[in-house]
Amino acid sequence: MGFNWKSAGCAGIVSLSVAFGATVASAAEIYVPNLSYRTGPFAATGIPLMNGQRDYVAMLNARDGGVGGAKLVFDECETGYNTNKGVECYEKTKSKAVVTQPWSTGITLQVLPRTNVDKIPILAPGYGFSPMSDGEVFAWAFNPPSSYWDGASMILNYISDGDLANLKGKKVALLHLDHPYGKEPIPLIEKLAEENGFEFLPIPVGLKEMQNQSAQWLQIRRERPDYVVMWGWGAMNAGAITEAVKTRYPMDQFVGIWWSGYDGDLKLVGEKGKGYKTISWNVPGSYPVLDEIKQHVVDPGDSLIENPEDMDSIFYQRGVVISMILVEGIKAAQKHFGTAEIDAAQLRWGLENLNITDEVLAELGMAGMTVPFATSCDNHTGHGGGWMLEWDGAAFVPVSEKLSPDRAAIEPLEAAKAAEYAESNAPWPGRSEVPCE
Amino acid sequence: MLYDVLIDPFVQMVAVPDFFLQVIWEGFVSGVLYALIALGFVLIYKSSRIFNFAQGIMVVFSALTLVGLHSMGIPAIAAVPLTLLVMYLLAMSVERVVLRPLVNQPDIILFMATIGITLFLIGFGELVFGGENKVMITEQLGIPTGAFELEPFGGFVLIEQKDVTAVTMAILLVVGLLLFLDRTKMGRAIRALGDDHQAALSVGISLSTIWVLVWFIAGVIALVTGIVWGARAGVSFALEVIAYKALPVLMLGGLESVSGAIVGGIAIGILEKIFEIYWGQPFLGGNTETWFPFIFALLVLLFRPQGLFGERIIERI
Amino acid sequence: MIFRTAGQYKTSYEADQALFPVKQDFYLVLGILLLGYVVFPLTASEFTFKALLVPVLIYALAALGLNILTGYCGQLSLGTGAFMGVGAYATYKLMTIVPEMNIFAAIFLSGFFSAAVGVAFGLPSLRIKGFYLAIATLAAQFFLVWLFEKWAWLYNYNASGAIEVATSSVFGITVTGPTALPIVQYYCVLIVVTLVTWVAINLTRGRYGRMWKATRDMDIAAELVGIKLMTAKLTAFAVSSYIVGVAGGLLVFFWKGAAEPNLFDIPLSFQILFIAIIGGLGSILGNFLGAILIVALPVILNLIPSTLGIPVDSATLEHLNVMIVGALIIAFLILEPHGLARFYAIIREKFILWPFPY
Repeated sequence: MGFNWKSAGCAGIVSLSVAFGATVASAAEIYVPNLSYRTGPFAATGIPLMNGQRDYVAMLNARDGGVGGAKLVFDECETGYNTNKGVECYEKTKSKAVVTQPWSTGITLQVLPRTNVDKIPILAPGYGFSPMSDGEVFAWAFNPPSSYWDGASMILNYISDGDLANLKGKKVALLHLDHPYGKEPIPLIEKLAEENGFEFLPIPVGLKEMQNQSAQWLQIRRERPDYVVMWGWGAMNAGAITEAVKTRYPMDQFVGIWWSGYDGDLKLVGEKGKGYKTISWNVPGSYPVLDEIKQHVVDPGDSLIENPEDMDSIFYQRGVVISMILVEGIKAAQKHFGTAEIDAAQLRWGLENLNITDEVLAELGMAGMTVPFATSCDNHTGHGGGWMLEWDGAAFVPVSEKLSPDRAAIEPLEAAKAAEYAESNAPWPGRSEVPCE
Repeated sequence: MLYDVLIDPFVQMVAVPDFFLQVIWEGFVSGVLYALIALGFVLIYKSSRIFNFAQGIMVVFSALTLVGLHSMGIPAIAAVPLTLLVMYLLAMSVERVVLRPLVNQPDIILFMATIGITLFLIGFGELVFGGENKVMITEQLGIPTGAFELEPFGGFVLIEQKDVTAVTMAILLVVGLLLFLDRTKMGRAIRALGDDHQAALSVGISLSTIWVLVWFIAGVIALVTGIVWGARAGVSFALEVIAYKALPVLMLGGLESVSGAIVGGIAIGILEKIFEIYWGQPFLGGNTETWFPFIFALLVLLFRPQGLFGERIIERI
Repeated sequence: MIFRTAGQYKTSYEADQALFPVKQDFYLVLGILLLGYVVFPLTASEFTFKALLVPVLIYALAALGLNILTGYCGQLSLGTGAFMGVGAYATYKLMTIVPEMNIFAAIFLSGFFSAAVGVAFGLPSLRIKGFYLAIATLAAQFFLVWLFEKWAWLYNYNASGAIEVATSSVFGITVTGPTALPIVQYYCVLIVVTLVTWVAINLTRGRYGRMWKATRDMDIAAELVGIKLMTAKLTAFAVSSYIVGVAGGLLVFFWKGAAEPNLFDIPLSFQILFIAIIGGLGSILGNFLGAILIVALPVILNLIPSTLGIPVDSATLEHLNVMIVGALIIAFLILEPHGLARFYAIIREKFILWPFPY
């Protein structure tokens, strides 16, 4: 039961601690808030991500004293994945923040119009509104390295062996959370289904039914879809996977988006979940950067993780990647503007001129950990692609080469939806105030 | 269109009978769980006229305590009695801190107080046990995890052993409870208190002892519910929403009736599933289970304002 | 001494029944209005507007609506959140169908939609009572929220399923949308709330108010002395839902700026109910006192650890907050079950006698 008054205060502490921090340290500081959720029904999947994000920043502060001479002040504001509270957190952090990391598609959509007015970039790696990719319309929003529509396209390409025509006459079900996040891929899959002659069946799972999906899986049993694609989050993932095992739905026809591929959920079913696949833009493994984090943050006891093995989790490592993207944006801005203490507008430029190549990743100790990508004025996503991972009973292992989305099929829809968004939110400033350099 | 809505669903039920049986079984199992939660409500309402909203969070709290104690290295055999002890302490403190000072207040104030308890337990539970999902210690408790596969009508019906266990445990609990209420001195005292507070007090029944006892029994019911539901779906705070499902059961069965809670729970469980599968999903976009039980109970109530098994309401000036 | 009523003689029924039979009450209200209309706008920061002042006003208005139904007419309702939703969605649809419409006209019109829905769901109250009715209002709560989710026309087929407030202006001043100034929105809310409160006060003192109170105290007796229960209960549902609907419109258009269906889910209903009960059932003033407490409490609780310099991480803080709010609710119920308004009444009585008790 998420009472709203819980939230009203969360920002209070944020603003105070900011003020407090600012008076003590006169050195350069950059305030990067995170609208985290460590409580509520989505905490299970939220906590490892938040820990990864936090620890990467803590490692930089401990090892290098920050980024480019500026210390990063990483501050969490608790949202409980509640849109309402998320917006309050945004309001409370915005006065100091150089970035907003909304951490939920619902919150992203609601702060999107405000960021234009407040001039704060949104960084929503791998989530948010897919047409945000169109930098010409959404000057202040970024969702690298891949958008949901990229993910949907890659999944469909994979299950159809690279040619969507192979799906003709088949039935693809989308088991999704009944929330802005879960509804996000529907327009694209609907369009692709129409063009390629396969049947599309969205199956919503309400927030109240995440843990008891028997009705949804009875529907799957009745409809017998050839593939089930899952857009689940939090307690829904574990619920769906246990129900799939129970209904004896063939696991190799069950594919999830990157947020539905959490090893903690799969461990509940273990061997029985063998064959379940998920698209992902990070591959779990051991990378030099993790050793650095272990040495500088986990071993001194500055991390919130309970034991060092939690660092092997795919979501923890994704959290690290997400903070890396933010820090690379900060670095790019610092270099371009020649100042350590960048502001929100400068960071916007930095995020727009990211160029994360394999060399950069190797330098950071993250070679092969995530996909290389580059952003530009009209491309705020980078469309780096991803890998298909498969659960082998104990861990997720990659089973494909790096996949790329079918951009030609997505782009017209992206442009149309972006234009539609701008029109329904008129007057929409677009790029008028931040011309492309 | 009319054919699709009025006749076709029934044709489907007959045409694919194994699927229909599976739907009924799934509905029956969730119905039994709704009935269990409703039972907790009924007991407390019967003896103290308190509409105890906290029953849902008590389910979560007891399950979390059990799992939490087990994860601290206490074997399952010892964790269960320890959890019961925690539930007893909870019952005692609720009686001492909340109920006793609020004796004789209007119903709505007591109702609000139970929402206060709910909030307190949510915060306390998350603080102590953390907010993440936990796995119920099904195997350690000796609950079988396999499944029976029946093959009637050339199809298949899957019946999980833990669901069978859930139903068995629920039946045992209800029978035990009925015997307790009917045959023991304490049980009769509870019913006497339900009939007339003042008369009960005047023949020497102690209000506070009975209240602690009733809240403790509600805690035991909560623990059983938490174990069986947790075995199905994992233990987390999202479980708390199933408490809402017990409310239409109460409307249907009557606030004071134990048998009403059982019959109402099973009826609601089965009907909501059938409605969702054969009408909700094809015509209404799904997720009708959130409201169907309420509307259904409301319609029944229009004809029987005291619920199916409730005591007749006699009003005097 | 301040509240001395000596010397204020009533020479007619009208004077005795006036809105402020005691002169000091009138000055007090004048002072509060002055505070609301002049002092706060001059001193408050953007954060204060958004996190304190505007929410207090909107929640107080919603609680006022609920109070008419529950406190004055005795019908417990747990569906307030959903009726606020009806008001919000109705305002949203009115504004998209007729974009040039004045936002205030849209909000006041939308109240009629929620009133109609309220009456429809109030019909069972003629048959069922007490907690049975309370659960029946939950039917409205769950059904309406589901409808907001599934009926795509309501949110204009928006991909996110949320309603977003477009920019609109009145007399050339932007009042809604991301560019509207908080102070402007505060004034808008304040004017609407003052207006509705004034009407509500007079309504509850009039014929209908007395009908509702009779129904609340004992409906069978009320029926015997000739009060039509149907009229009494249904008008209470209508008026209550109207006010609640207006509050819902304000909530989305002048505060949140956007809303998802689950904003109107059951926690909102409970929150409003808390305000009404902690403020005091059957009191208009209580709603405002309750709202101040419920809105300000978490803000203050959050400030405590940082002012004392105790480091607490955000999740722990959240858990502590929920615990403390729960405990405080119980404490308030034990200390004064009749609510904060009763506290005020006691203090006022004391002042009338002070310093010379008879």
